[in-house]
Amino acid sequence: MTKLLPALSVLFAVIATAVPWGLPADATFILPLVVVMMVFCWRAIPGTALPPLGAAGLGLLADLMSGGPLGYWALMCLIAATVGDRPGSLGQGRDFGALWLIWIALVSALGVFGWLLASAYYFRWIDWWPIAFGAVATVVLFPVVLYGLLWIRNGRIGPARNVIFRGSS
Amino acid sequence: MRERGSQLFRRHRPSWRAPVELLSFGLYFLCAVLLVLSRIGHGVIADTRDGLVDLSAPLLEAASLPAIEARRAMERVRSYTAAFDEIDRLKEENDELKQWEWRTKLLERKVAHLRSLLNAVEEPGLAFVTGRVIADARGPFVRSALINLGRKDGLRIGYAVINGDGLVGRTVDAGGSVARVLLLSDLNSRIPVLVGPAGVRGLASGDNSSELQLDFLPDGAAVYAGDEVYTSGSDGTLPRGLKIGVVAGSAGALKVKPYAELNSLHAVSVLFFDTPALARADPSEAGVPGALSLAPSDRPGMTATASTPLPVATATADEISGGGGRAQGDP
Repeated sequence: MTKLLPALSVLFAVIATAVPWGLPADATFILPLVVVMMVFCWRAIPGTALPPLGAAGLGLLADLMSGGPLGYWALMCLIAATVGDRPGSLGQGRDFGALWLIWIALVSALGVFGWLLASAYYFRWIDWWPIAFGAVATVVLFPVVLYGLLWIRNGRIGPARNVIFRGSS
Repeated sequence: MRERGSQLFRRHRPSWRAPVELLSFGLYFLCAVLLVLSRIGHGVIADTRDGLVDLSAPLLEAASLPAIEARRAMERVRSYTAAFDEIDRLKEENDELKQWEWRTKLLERKVAHLRSLLNAVEEPGLAFVTGRVIADARGPFVRSALINLGRKDGLRIGYAVINGDGLVGRTVDAGGSVARVLLLSDLNSRIPVLVGPAGVRGLASGDNSSELQLDFLPDGAAVYAGDEVYTSGSDGTLPRGLKIGVVAGSAGALKVKPYAELNSLHAVSVLFFDTPALARADPSEAGVPGALSLAPSDRPGMTATASTPLPVATATADEISGGGGRAQGDP
């Protein structure tokens, strides 16, 4: 069951992206990007398993639910899974700040790439604002999500915290 | 320290990663292929998507219930806080509507008299069925919603979808028990419209924002902010006269502000308006008698009897353009 936790939690988030929350049009990008962020975090947390195949599969499910082109969110999740597994050479001593910086760089790159991909898909320039807003929102939400996932993993933010947050005792 | 470093080395650089790399490459390639197939609208992709969405419908429906209830509760709290202002506003509106009612009745009599003089053919009523939004589709590509009505309810692709405020969109995918509604605000939405009392022709296009662009207006057209916008029906798929919204913005950058709150849809009605254009676009249901002929009883699960529990109704296009038809059994 513990092994399934990452996939199950992301699946829960994918379903949440399809629920009619009544969010304004500008905020529509936040929830799918949170899914991508969760994939990144799970891959970055040592001792957890969310293989690229699982990440792509969950992204594909997000594509299905959103009615958008198949492969878009799968690609985003796959990139996040690839980067999350290799955040430089920080190894098990990765600290929170570095992980946060990596996410900022990644979500910026994903935002630009996603915007270009969407524009190429429709042969017109897509409105960039919701993407930028979503990216900024996920940067702000990053600590909450990371803490949340650690809590999900351990039932509390305990020993595993030390492998992420260097310097904490 | 050296030992820790070597552990790290072992962890991140295993001696043989080729299968993993190959799998990752294969997944990237698969995503690219899926994107291309999706772009060209491959039939297999569409069918698979329909099937899977149909399968996930019960789950989505269950998951959306708490969100819908929470939204309703919040709306209720908001309405309680503004109750007194709302009562005053409604009193004023009621007085105004009473005057309109009187005028409308006069006009109705006049129209009926003129029609009888002209021996005009009665406009057929429109059947519709009402359902619930069970999922939102949000992202860079689409502004759509899943509703809990499908081909089993007689739906087909291209039907107009309305709510109490006006036109919401049209169906673009229909599974057995679920259908996807392309909202007016979607990038791919194009609705031929008439604007203002003069009925100036134009095209309302979605751009994924909350307002629609108003394009292809004739040069020098007398269109002003506040003019009402409604469907022209010239595309042969939507009924004429469904209200969409009002003109907003300034000359040169005219927009349409939809009446319907597209970000928080709850109950919507699908109009069974069959036309030859729809039959060509969605030939799978070609054998089913058209709703222009207005026979709800012809459709599976629907009858035109008053005892039908489904909110299936018939209404004239005029009634619908006024904000939705009346469900059977309603007073």
